[in-house]
Formats: sequence, structure tokens, C-alpha cells
Amino acid sequence: MIKFENISKVYPGSSPALENINFNVNPGEFVSVVGHSGAGKSTLLKLIYTEEKPTTGTVLFDETNIVDLRPKELPILRRNIGTVFQDYKLLPKKTLAENVSFALEVAGKSDGEIRETVPKILDIVGLADKMENYPREVSGGEQQRVALARALVNKPKVLIADEPTGNLDPVSTWEIIQLLLKINEFGTTVLLATHDNGIVDRIARRVVVMENGRIVSDKQKGKYQL
Amino acid sequence: MWIKLRRTFEAGVKNFMRNGWLSVATVSVMVITLFVVNTQLAIIGANDLRLKDVQNRVNISVEIKPETSTSEVKDFQNEIQGYDKVSSVELIDKEQALIEFKSFTQSGSTIQSGIETLGENFLYDTLVVRTYDPSQYEDVVKKIETSVSAKYVEEINYHKYRDIIDGLSDEIKTTRKFSITLALTLSLVAILVTFNSIRITMYSHKQEIEIMKLVGASNNYVRLPFIWEGIFYGITAAFFAIPFSFLYLKYITSGDAASSVFAFSNTKFLKDFLSVYFIKHIFIIVLVQFAFGIILGVMSSLVAMRRYLKKL
Repeated sequence: MIKFENISKVYPGSSPALENINFNVNPGEFVSVVGHSGAGKSTLLKLIYTEEKPTTGTVLFDETNIVDLRPKELPILRRNIGTVFQDYKLLPKKTLAENVSFALEVAGKSDGEIRETVPKILDIVGLADKMENYPREVSGGEQQRVALARALVNKPKVLIADEPTGNLDPVSTWEIIQLLLKINEFGTTVLLATHDNGIVDRIARRVVVMENGRIVSDKQKGKYQL
Repeated sequence: MWIKLRRTFEAGVKNFMRNGWLSVATVSVMVITLFVVNTQLAIIGANDLRLKDVQNRVNISVEIKPETSTSEVKDFQNEIQGYDKVSSVELIDKEQALIEFKSFTQSGSTIQSGIETLGENFLYDTLVVRTYDPSQYEDVVKKIETSVSAKYVEEINYHKYRDIIDGLSDEIKTTRKFSITLALTLSLVAILVTFNSIRITMYSHKQEIEIMKLVGASNNYVRLPFIWEGIFYGITAAFFAIPFSFLYLKYITSGDAASSVFAFSNTKFLKDFLSVYFIKHIFIIVLVQFAFGIILGVMSSLVAMRRYLKKL
């Protein structure tokens, strides 16, 4: 489903961020990408939602080389990819419900569908009673659950989570991970970047280890080992 | 398309309301911009009116020799009227001139009694010539002096007033240049300040733009709410700037303030002009204000947003 071929990424004047990356993600997989800060995890994920372009190589998403997409085609690709980040990236001046409905609006969904879907998905992440609150009025864990709801509301094929638990306490962390596993059970491919060994060991799925911009290990039922 | 416009419009309204102080600050700066442009335009208008007034007062008086016959004078008048720079030629015969002269002087004064003693009309028939532009008087005078009909001319009194006329039109032109330069400079400063404050507003939206694009919003979908916001800034600013400018012009054209602010001229017609300026031109002013406000708001938003849109 996602195929990285001979990827390298070099920022001018520094050592390569990614070097000779080749790997595939199959539909329905749950892949944890682990490594120290600066190992290249985030850069790798950014190639998928096209915030960065590789210096060389191709990234295939459903057989389409997304490196060559024109700017106009990027929004459509991004509606098929849900993203969750360490800093939640919620729109601060929109309520939780509006944050979720925004993703539906940009995808051109009808008002009726939006009215129906938003409360449902917020209920799934356990925030039905806080729909009209603003992000600053709820906890970090709750913000991250809204971000997850937003990422999922367009039923994306792939969910990308870049250090989603980096700012959360252990209880919230585990809630988010369980949500990710549940999402994966329903068929969505999940790519998780993290440096939290506890999480990776408990998930016990495929683990890709990165170091200095290279993949150093790729195991189907991996543990966090650097 | 409609659904997109409606949704972005609603988002724009919400942004505008939720931005609070930032909106107030941006609108205030725009109100000042529009106010400056507005009052400067009114003052330029008043100055133009003053120029026209002076031009109308200036004329060439061609005094005709007494022995010239009425038909010769008529022909002469028609000849001058034919010059392409001449806007009007008026014949004032000596009887009429005498009546006017008498009305200027007080009855019982020495001048009046002098006229009585003389018993005959010492004045000449006079052709009063006006041109379209004060700078053309010189040429017209030369043309009259060199024409075949010059033999009828007793005296052309343009030369007496020439220095005064030249001085006046120079002064008016300088004032005009000055006020246009001032208006342009002030407007430019105000526009730059507006642009900058909208840029700051945009900077505060920087992360939002990034997030919107990550969620899959097209560039237009990101842009439109901000364009609407720019339109609201413009409309709100115009809404406040128009009454402000109106009150300001009212203030400087009435009461004690008038003589101090408008030192350059206290003529009544200028005050009248400025005090009715708004009422007379209200439609065009409202239209221009809103258009200017909206264009300023939208352009600033678009330019300020461009770099954040390009990034992703």
C-alpha cells in the first residue's frame, strides 16, 4: 500500500536525514517506527503526507508516485491520510466539534452528514459531553483524542501518528494506544513513530528501527531494541 | 461551490468575532487610513474649487477707444470670441460701466461729486475676456495686441494685474501639489500600517493554515475565510470612517475652529463646499470607502498569507 523506494533526503549543509530507505507497508498493518530523536522517523512519515519531498527516490501510495503529485492534487491525497501529532495541532479558535467537522467540510461532505457524524465520532473517543469546549479548556489526553477523531472522521486508509503520546501521562498514553489498536482492528493501516519502549513492547507488532537516517532493523513481532 | 462559499463565509464571521482585540486593532488602523484618505480628498476638492474661483475672477479688460462704432466693437468682440483659448467675451458699455462704478462708491463722496461735476461719462466701452486657463492670458493679450483690430484698443489692463494673477495661480498650484503629496504620503503610510497589522493577524493564523492544509483543505478553502475576514475589516472600517470624516469636516468648517484650521481661506463657499461635500457625494463616498476598505483588507490578507500557503 505504501512503498518507499531508494529514498534519501538531504537538507543542504547537514548530514543526510534519510539514506537509502526501502520498505513496504501492507494494507491493515500496524507498524511502529522507533529510534532516537533525529533518527529520521518524522521525516520518513512526512514523506507520506507530503509535507516533505525526498531528494531522491519514489514514494508509492496505492501505486501512485506521490512525489510527483501537483500541488492541486495534494489535498485529495491528504483526505485519505489521517494524521496525529505530539502537539495535537487542533485549531485553537474552533470548538472540539468544529475541529472535527472541519475535516468533513474540506472533504465536501453535506451538512446533514456532518451533523450526524461529528457527535458519533466524538462519542467513540469519549468526548460527547465536551463538544462545545475549546481545545484550551480540555486536557492534553482529551485534545489528542479529538485529534484522533478528526483524523478518522474521513475514514482514511492510513493513520499516521507522530509521537502522539509524547506529551501525555501514562494513563492517557495507554488510552490513545488502545484507540490506535482498535482503529487498526477495523482495517485502517497505522504507522506510529515513537521512542517510548514501553508502548512498543506492549503493542507487540511490526517494529522498524531507525538510526541516523537508515533502517537498521525491521521485525514482524518486534521489541524496542536499539 | 455554494456550499464552499457559505462554509468559508461562516468561518470568516467566526474568525472575525473570535479574534477579539486583534480585529479591533486592525479595524482601528483601517479606520484611520480611510479617514486620512477621506479628509485629504475633501481638502483637495476644496482647493480645486478655490483655484476655479480665482480663475473666474481673473480677466482681461480691453478698453475701446471712444470713437469706435458699435458695430466695430461687436465685430471685435466676435473676433476675440473666435480665439480657441478664449472661454468668454463680455461687452460692458460705458453707460453700464458708469452705473456699476457709481454703485461701488458711496453717494456724496468726493468721487461721486467729481463724476457729477464732470457731467460726461469718462469711462470706455470695455470687452471683458476670460480664458480657460490663467496661463493662457499672456497669449491672448499678445494676439489682441497684434490683431488688425488693435487700432480700436485704448488700453489693455491685463498688464497691471499680471503679477498678481501669476502669483495667485502659482500659489494655488503649489498648495495643490502640496496637498496631493501630503495626501499620497499619508495614505501610503496608512496603507503600510494596515498591511502590517493584517500581516500580524495572519502570523497569528500561521499554525491554523498549516493544520488546515494537513487535514486536506485546498488552498482556496484555506484562503476564503481570510478573504471574508478582510472584507469584514473593510466594511467595518468604512462604517466607522465615514461618520468620523463627516464630523471632522463639520468641525473644521463651522464655529471657531474654521478660522484657525482653514487659515488659507475663510470664504463662505469653501465652508459651504466642505459642509455639504458629504451629503452631496454620499453615494460615491460610501461606495469608494467600502471598495477601498475591502480591496485593502483582501489584498493585505492575500499577500500576508501567501508564504504560509506555499510552505506546504
